[in-house]
Amino acid sequence: MDLKALKKQESKRKISKGYMWAFFCALFWGLWYLPGTAIWVLNPFDEMSSAIAKTSGDNVSLVVTAVLITAFNALAVMLALMIWNGVLGKYGELVRTLKEFKPCSKWFFLASIFGGPMAVFGSFIAMGFIGGAFSAVAGLLYPVIGSIIAYYWYGEKISKRAAIGIGVIVLGGISIYGGGLLTELSSGNAGNVQWIGYLGGLMAAAGWGIEGAIAGKGLDIAEPDAGLTLRFLGETIIWWVIAIPILAIIGFPMYSFAIQAFEPLTLLILVFAGITFGYCYVTWYKSFPLIGVGRGQGIGNLYGFCAVIFIFLFFGDVPAWTILVGGTLCILGSFIMFTEDASALETLRGE
Amino acid sequence: MTQTAAALEAYNAYWANSIIPHGNVLWMVFIIVLAVIALWQARTFVSKF
Repeated sequence: MDLKALKKQESKRKISKGYMWAFFCALFWGLWYLPGTAIWVLNPFDEMSSAIAKTSGDNVSLVVTAVLITAFNALAVMLALMIWNGVLGKYGELVRTLKEFKPCSKWFFLASIFGGPMAVFGSFIAMGFIGGAFSAVAGLLYPVIGSIIAYYWYGEKISKRAAIGIGVIVLGGISIYGGGLLTELSSGNAGNVQWIGYLGGLMAAAGWGIEGAIAGKGLDIAEPDAGLTLRFLGETIIWWVIAIPILAIIGFPMYSFAIQAFEPLTLLILVFAGITFGYCYVTWYKSFPLIGVGRGQGIGNLYGFCAVIFIFLFFGDVPAWTILVGGTLCILGSFIMFTEDASALETLRGE
Repeated sequence: MTQTAAALEAYNAYWANSIIPHGNVLWMVFIIVLAVIALWQARTFVSKF
């Protein structure tokens, strides 16, 4: 076998692994909705939400409770990622990446600002002020933003075929949540504060898109497993060292409810939230150097379809016909991307 | 804080209509199995690339 054929074979292997990691991301992300939904009804979050609603209203109560849940989610993700890095023998790499702030870890700490307080928090705000379906649709638009930033910032190539595939998956996602989206938008149940929900949706799409593009830059010189762990170290610091103390100073009972979260069932659900969210993120980051930010985010977007399937299987919520149409579009979009000629992905960056 | 009866009822209601038998336990088993497969693939990936 000559050098050219070997190079082609290696490139094909790399691309198939990239798509595999992006698909793992979609599966874990879809599964995250099970513990991510169930945690809200458990104590102390249930009672915290009621207690704050009595004094500060439903909207403030939802946002403050979301901050505590997100902070615990970040801690659980750190735990899951330490196991991931331990199994892969990456602790040395982790310390090395952390020490190299200027060339490496600064990108991941920056990604944590856009991914955590901007995207995840924006997603919760959209969910609370408008609805879950609107939040999901807004989030689905992130590959468009990620691909555009990666193209203009460091010249990541995005072929016409990949752009069509991403577009079809985004359309599929919109169709999946279309029914709920129209109901939420027409009901106007949030009254005159609805614009905060739209802002939240924009924060989610822009936050995840920018995070992906920044991560793509950081992953030029760092390793994804270590890089992602540092990104979550950054998010954990933001929630536990900045956001929660500020909310406690304002007068919300953050610490008293945080201590009460150490209850077996709550901890069990948080552990599964940590595994699914952490492993979805680490596989997302692993796909970027192999197939590019645009394609990784596009296939990762299948999470919308996966979430519907897992919610149907485990919660028994029967999907509507719009979901089946959306699911077909998602599969079609993925197929368009999977069947792209490997030679188009040999170099991910422009000349 | 222990779980109140209302919290446990709301939690159990999620899994009450599960299509899969014993869905309240099997979702956790499914996540563990998928996580082990992902870790195994990641170890294989480290040794090959």
